[in-house]
Amino acid sequence: MARYILKRILGMFIVIFLVLTIAFLIVRLAPGDPAALMLGPEATPEETAALRTELGLDRPIVVQYFTFVVNAAQGDLGTSLFFRQPVTQVLAARAEPTIFLALFSLVFALVIATPIGIYAAYRRGSFLDQSAISTAMLAASIPSFWTGLMFQRYLATDLGLFPASGYGGPDASFIERMGYLILPSIVLGIVNSALILRFTRASMLDILGEDYIRTARSKGMGEPRVVLRHALKNAAIPIITVIGLTFALLVSGAVVTERVFNIPGMGNLVVSAVLRRDYPVIQGALIVVASLYVLINLVTDLLYLTVDKRVRY
Amino acid sequence: MALKIIGKFTGKSSLLSAPLAALLAGSALSLAAGPAFAEGKTLDVAIIGEADTFDPMMSTKDVVSIVTQHFVETLYTFDGGWNIAPLLATGLPEISDDGLTYKIGIREGVTFHDGSSMDAKDVVASLDRWLKVATRGKGVADKVASVEATGDYEVTITMKEPYSPLLSLLAFSNSAAAVYPEEIIADTIETVVGTGPYKIAEHMPDQHLQLVRFEDYASRDEASDGAAGKREQLADEIRFIPVPDPNTRVEGLLSGQFDFADGLPAESYKRLEENETADPLLLKPFGWPIFAVNHKDGLLTDKNIRLAVQAALPIDDMLFAAFGDDNFFITDGPLYPEGWAWRTEAGAELFNQNDQTRAGELLKEAGYDGTPLRILTSRQYEFHFKMAEVAKMALESAGFKVQMDVVDWATLGQRRDDPAVWDIYITHSPFLPEPALTSLYDKSSRLGWSNPEKDKILDAFTSETDIAKRKELFAELQKQVFEDVGFIKIGAFNALQGTRKGLEGVPASPWPFFWNAQVQ
Repeated sequence: MARYILKRILGMFIVIFLVLTIAFLIVRLAPGDPAALMLGPEATPEETAALRTELGLDRPIVVQYFTFVVNAAQGDLGTSLFFRQPVTQVLAARAEPTIFLALFSLVFALVIATPIGIYAAYRRGSFLDQSAISTAMLAASIPSFWTGLMFQRYLATDLGLFPASGYGGPDASFIERMGYLILPSIVLGIVNSALILRFTRASMLDILGEDYIRTARSKGMGEPRVVLRHALKNAAIPIITVIGLTFALLVSGAVVTERVFNIPGMGNLVVSAVLRRDYPVIQGALIVVASLYVLINLVTDLLYLTVDKRVRY
Repeated sequence: MALKIIGKFTGKSSLLSAPLAALLAGSALSLAAGPAFAEGKTLDVAIIGEADTFDPMMSTKDVVSIVTQHFVETLYTFDGGWNIAPLLATGLPEISDDGLTYKIGIREGVTFHDGSSMDAKDVVASLDRWLKVATRGKGVADKVASVEATGDYEVTITMKEPYSPLLSLLAFSNSAAAVYPEEIIADTIETVVGTGPYKIAEHMPDQHLQLVRFEDYASRDEASDGAAGKREQLADEIRFIPVPDPNTRVEGLLSGQFDFADGLPAESYKRLEENETADPLLLKPFGWPIFAVNHKDGLLTDKNIRLAVQAALPIDDMLFAAFGDDNFFITDGPLYPEGWAWRTEAGAELFNQNDQTRAGELLKEAGYDGTPLRILTSRQYEFHFKMAEVAKMALESAGFKVQMDVVDWATLGQRRDDPAVWDIYITHSPFLPEPALTSLYDKSSRLGWSNPEKDKILDAFTSETDIAKRKELFAELQKQVFEDVGFIKIGAFNALQGTRKGLEGVPASPWPFFWNAQVQ
């Protein structure tokens, strides 16, 4: 077991190194000059060139790469060209809204999707099953930016049920900041509940057709116990996998929702960083996201051990 | 309790809040203490993005000007009629008859945010830095012989040659000649210390910039007029909130989250007009779209081809495609709008010809060989792209082969510095109070527009100090713009901002300010 974890952690470093290299190259292959953007429209080419020198962007790309790798190995992801702050500090400031947004939307999706998915599988072909599938299809098909805009306009602006955007002012408490995440969490949760619902239903359908379920029923075991204790437990592995991946996706991919609701999270930061050509922030964000994916995958695999005792590494 | 909290989020409590309030009652949310958005004495201002820097010397971006003018001040500013007015200076300078010496009195009793007092030494150190590091300062540095403290509260600027736009440059909040304490002067200033009516309390990048009233602020006594005169500090706090998505700014304003929102989409005008929370604020006109012409390299170094481009463009159609609503554009040729001192009709008959036949003839005269005309544009500003699409059709109908290079704004910013890769790039500008504040006329700009006649007129224009003569020279300069096609003005457009109903004291401006603003 310890050897397995060690092996996975080693693999994680290799993945992160590859991501680091690809991220470095991609951002520099893209055209666009951060110095020109920072100085504004009236800046002369000479001023732009001088700022490029000041920011170290005119150094040979190989030198820039090695400096970046050596510093990254020591936990230094560089300094944001735009904010003039360490990238780790910039990213850390965005972690809270993103993590809680992901968490809330995942909870929302699980609360909605898991019971419906289980019941839809249990009552396969029923009106509820078909309605659940159709609704899930619809939810998955509507882009989250559209849902976000509609919810924002009608639930926040017109009805005043939620704040329309932002993450609270300077004096907002933690609870108040969380209040700003309710509507975006619902928007994100709707999309992801469709995925989780379909996985739960499919997984449960497989298990409910197994011999041991029939055996349990023939022994006179009550239906709730059959479904919830025997079927659900065995259907859990694919569901956990999709939950893990969904969470990673939410942390890294709530770009549109964060933009629409102006939440100062990682997604919003990455979009702004790309538009500003803030290379160190783009690189740093990619490294964090890649690490998160690998880590969540590892945690998911370890969770299998507790859910299914037959699993051995 | 929960109902109250929801009301705080939205600035209003509705009956429809009740079910949700009931749902939240007893939950953790109901324990929240303190408002998220304080009412009354705090102004929440939604701006289009984060300011790159709080040092206005270092950027020519409008968003930097909008924010920094609240905590950093200059010797001069502009009044409501865009005339130069004193701010940190005691009055307008004494200018010698030969136009070479500017004697500027400095106000006594002005305190910096760090508690120190401002005097001539601070002004001299700041102006020296401005001449060294600021885009607009560097542009005038070769004409300045010296900046000296000629008293504790007097500064003298000596010029090598007369340069009439100097005061406008000293007054402009963009690449501003800001005054800092001598002690903090360096090439890069980490913590900006100004004399403005508000000072920085907290900056959370991409969340808010919180400014609080500077209690020791020394305001001028004259009546407020534009940015000039009394600055009353009516709000306790001003919070600038970067909201990059225009639709989010609209919803935030309409839901009562913001007191002011900048840069709103034209489509939201009707909603703003019809709702009970906010009012539209139309800046009419705000600025002008520009086809910047490459005189350094490529196809448009040939005057006949430039004239052909100008002849072919259907400005009406381009503006309609770009803005879609008569409320938002004016098909107007002169470089300054009606009512401005610089307004002249000289040369404007060449505007909006929409004559592709004439353009074709000019192309024949030029011996045009079918080399593609490269239009560099971006969809960052959708109206740039839409104009380019219409222009392309008209130019092709005149016989041009057109190559559209549509890139993001960052790429455009980089490519326009290389004259080998574009013929026209599209940009826009607000109308500036002094023509010389734009670099478009300057032969050293990235356009590289130069001909002996224009250069002579421009030199005379920038060195002439008599206002009436300057206006005559500007008319000649504008004529050159059309006759030599220095660049192409594509009419004028309006900009939409929005205010909370009852917000007073915010004049319509490309660089809105809030020191005299309050919600009634």
